[in-house]
Amino acid sequence: MTVPRQATRTRGREAVQALVAELSKLVSLPATWLTLGGTLVVNPVLAIAYTAAGLHGSTGTTSVPDIGLAPIGYTQAGFVILGVLAACSEYTGGQIRTTLTAMPRRALQLTAKHLALAIVVLPAAAIAAASGVVIAAAVLGGTAAPVTAGRAAGALSGAAAYLTLTTLISAAVGALVRRTLAAAVVLLGYLFIAGPLLRDHVSAAKYLPDSAGFAMWFPPADEAGTVTPVHGAVLLTAWTAVLIAVAVSGYRRLDV
Amino acid sequence: MKALAAEASKLASLPAVWAATAAGVLVPGVVAAITASSALGAIDRGAAVTAPIDTGYQELAFGVVGAIILGVVAVSSEYVTESAESGGGRQITTSLTAVPSRLRFLLAKTAAIAIGAAMLAIIAAGTTMGVVRVVLGEHAPALGAGDVPRLAGVACYWTYTALLAAGITVLTRHGVVPLAVLVANTSVVSVTYLLTRIAPPANYLPDMAGVRMFIRDLAGSTAEIGPLTGGLVMTAWVTALLVIAAIAFTRRDA
Repeated sequence: MTVPRQATRTRGREAVQALVAELSKLVSLPATWLTLGGTLVVNPVLAIAYTAAGLHGSTGTTSVPDIGLAPIGYTQAGFVILGVLAACSEYTGGQIRTTLTAMPRRALQLTAKHLALAIVVLPAAAIAAASGVVIAAAVLGGTAAPVTAGRAAGALSGAAAYLTLTTLISAAVGALVRRTLAAAVVLLGYLFIAGPLLRDHVSAAKYLPDSAGFAMWFPPADEAGTVTPVHGAVLLTAWTAVLIAVAVSGYRRLDV
Repeated sequence: MKALAAEASKLASLPAVWAATAAGVLVPGVVAAITASSALGAIDRGAAVTAPIDTGYQELAFGVVGAIILGVVAVSSEYVTESAESGGGRQITTSLTAVPSRLRFLLAKTAAIAIGAAMLAIIAAGTTMGVVRVVLGEHAPALGAGDVPRLAGVACYWTYTALLAAGITVLTRHGVVPLAVLVANTSVVSVTYLLTRIAPPANYLPDMAGVRMFIRDLAGSTAEIGPLTGGLVMTAWVTALLVIAAIAFTRRDA
């Protein structure tokens, strides 16, 4: 007589299944596509506005990557909303209980959610960054200030990475706060009101996630002690990792 | 009147409204403390003789984020779907059962929002001006009869902004989009400000026209608009949006 072998799945297979499940949830959420679509429409419109302002000479620069990436400062709001929605949509109507029945390992589930989000957002972030730069290059044409290819590529990849990491931070905050509106207010209030004001008045603010992240793609000021793009990337990655870790540990300890 | 009392009671019992109140008072107060102390530093170094004319008012232009949250959640809370276990209902169906006339409901709602935002603006203006006075001491710009219309302008701007936020939320029936757009536009260099650099008519957008009610020295202004004209332009925007919201609200399913 043979003893029936208990069906088990390896850790690796479980992780892959969790990632596939999270990806499927994310791409089947209409809000994902509405948010991404809206953001990717608004970004070129703002890029045209900025380029027009650049032709009038009121932006203080005619560098193609600087003007083309400037709209990111506003359209990051769309990416923030996407991150918040990805995390908080679990809590509207109790989907979270189904999720945790299917994937009881909470740390694995939330990590898979962030990974799935990164997979969806990175191409969108690259498109947002590239569309602005292409528009700026096309409209400015010969009047643009010369830039090296290395600087342009660095700014582009920096902007795409910044948007992706900001989305992940938003999802982590969303997982902690669990309410869409509250999380959106906290993040947008920080990014658009508190962050810029702190940057102007407090010197230590350059190590905060928004200012450090800006250093990844914004033209750095020529003075000692500023955060370089590489340092900015390291700082923002560290902030993201810490916030995701906090979100995971909170998620493991709290009731749903 | 009963409908207004009901709306006021709903508003006062929303935790998000108290968060909005905290944001509306703390943001301009803290920012004013920071900017006033750097202005004081400039005066002590001899780099400036007096504090800028807009000290305090500039900060109140940021604090309007509290009014935005108030206007958005007052409407979006009606449309939040309860979880399936508690029936999947929405408060709006209960509200319209209690007050079946849609116009009366909307009127009571906007009146409650306007009263709340105006009260919030008065508290925030008092706090902010107090903070400026405490930090700057004798260097603070003197408060005279000229500040009465300016402070009234602040209250007007906050009330109108809350009504704009509420009107947009009536149309979207969800809070995230109006919140994201309006908060993103409260930043130091707002989208509408950028538009005024390209197209002068953008000076007549609601927020750019509305701040003229109390800001005297708008950096890089591309048009001259008086405080009264600015107020009237914003009144026209708010009225138009509320009429559109009322038409949509009375004609569609809840």
